[in-house]
Amino acid sequence: MPQTLEIRRSSASLWGEKTGMRHLPVVAKYIDTTTCIGCKACEVACQEWNDLGPVPTVQTGTYQTLPNLHPEFWNLIRFNERETDKGFAWLMRKDQCMHCEDPGCLAACPSPGAIVQYANGIVDVNPAQCIGCGYCETGCPFDVPKFHQKTGKMAKCTLCVDRVGVGLEPACIKACPTACLQFGTKDDMVARGRSRVEALKANGFDHAVLYDPPGVGGTGVVTVLAHGDHPEWYGLPRDPRVSPLLRLWKSVLRPLGAVAMLGTLFAAVGHFMYQGPKEPREGA
Amino acid sequence: MSSGAPSSLADPAVLRARRTEDVVVGDEIVRHRLASRVIHWSVALLFFLALFSGLPIWTPVLGWMAHLLGGLNVCRWLHPWAGLLFFLAMAAMFVHWLGDMRLEPPDREWLRPRKMVEYMKHEGDEAEVGKYNGGQKLFFFAVALGAAGLIVSGLVLWFPLSFPRMASELATLLHDLTFILFVVAVVLHVYLGTAAEPGTFHSMVRGTVTRRWARFHHPRWYREVTGERPRHP
Ligand code: HEM
Ligand code: SF4
Repeated sequence: MPQTLEIRRSSASLWGEKTGMRHLPVVAKYIDTTTCIGCKACEVACQEWNDLGPVPTVQTGTYQTLPNLHPEFWNLIRFNERETDKGFAWLMRKDQCMHCEDPGCLAACPSPGAIVQYANGIVDVNPAQCIGCGYCETGCPFDVPKFHQKTGKMAKCTLCVDRVGVGLEPACIKACPTACLQFGTKDDMVARGRSRVEALKANGFDHAVLYDPPGVGGTGVVTVLAHGDHPEWYGLPRDPRVSPLLRLWKSVLRPLGAVAMLGTLFAAVGHFMYQGPKEPREGA
Repeated sequence: MSSGAPSSLADPAVLRARRTEDVVVGDEIVRHRLASRVIHWSVALLFFLALFSGLPIWTPVLGWMAHLLGGLNVCRWLHPWAGLLFFLAMAAMFVHWLGDMRLEPPDREWLRPRKMVEYMKHEGDEAEVGKYNGGQKLFFFAVALGAAGLIVSGLVLWFPLSFPRMASELATLLHDLTFILFVVAVVLHVYLGTAAEPGTFHSMVRGTVTRRWARFHHPRWYREVTGERPRHP
């Protein structure tokens, strides 16, 4: 875990780790699906930088490398063909961890410090603390973290925290030949995305949007979609949010349960002091 | 071995309690034969093993429990297995005790809220209480139901990635709710089985109770076992 980065939030932790000493801007990736040519340079760069294995490709009848993200494959160009109002289109979107502002994985994780969010917004898994329960995968609205049978741990994109921490841009960004991937502060990336969306609208793509879903507090990956009225065409959920059921048990059921269990214990002790043991009186 | 005189120095009641129950031996009555006690304590041990390995996963406030068992990784491995064994022990207990736990009219009467309050105030009329009172039978069926809820939701949480997301979210809620109610019930059970009613714990350890205990807590059972007529008709 890079010491150059301060931790903002940490899974299953009672007290925040935030010291507020380091002033780090929140960073983001900018992905423009309209200028992605599907060359997969980012996929290769990700494997290279992170020293991940060659993962055998799976033929799905499309230009997509694998059917889904994989514990040793954290960056996947999703490929979809759609009949749109602008005619037939190939839709390509770079899929990886979205580095949510309010990460469902972190909320679901029961192990202290296994998932951390740095002050700059990057969400990272710490394998040393990961107990391999799989709850983050069910908690993530984007279905990103993947359980590795081999290691018994979860793995996902780190937003190249080891590069960002020393002032470099993520490997995928570095490799992109069309500049459809860019990296910078979240504010800059959102501004860039907005102006790109305006340009698309001026060109007749009335439904263009910058995908930065508010249900998870926004994401550390902002994505320009030409057909923003159909995020599912790109394999994106329409309104991702941290499950209300998860919140219900963590913030309501858990304290109520603790009160109920402790309360019963106290009630028993109280009853014993007040009533005493139940025994036959002499001669009964 | 010669018949008649006891062949060992051990308490004859305890010897009888290895195989039989509901028999009078001198001043004592055998209440729980060895098999019953072994099953009961297997259930209890496995329950607490599952509880203490599950609680640190439930909340970091109880993270220290994980250290007692070797860390959270150990807990995550141990908890489902302990839970599975607990369920099997519960199943054995269910079959073993089902015959004794049939709810009868006096038990239904006992279970009326007013009666239960009287019981806790030591003012109840227990004359018709058989081997187990209505509350014990209720506990028996409640924990059976609870164990079923825990195993179903627990299997989903053991392999959350093999089920739809909704299933594992509902399983989390069900597992939580069930275990909380279970702990509440077990705390009351342990209290009533130990401090609240002296002599009861002994029955689950050595198998026997005194005549006095039986006449006081389970009069109808006492009459059945001893053939004695009730003192207060
Ligand atoms: C340290 C923990 C426990 C203690 C001290 C304890 C004690 C006892 C005692 C003394 C009895 C005999 C009651 C009698 O003869 O009338 C009993 C019965 C029983 N125990 Fe436990 N027990 C413990 C844990 C558990 C747990 C975890 C379960 C989980 C299901 C359980 C289930 C039962 C049942 C179903 C009965 C028969 C019905 C009843 O007496 O309520 N016990 N226990
Ligand atoms: S996309 Fe999924 S894995 Fe990434 S931060 Fe959000 S919830 Fe966590």
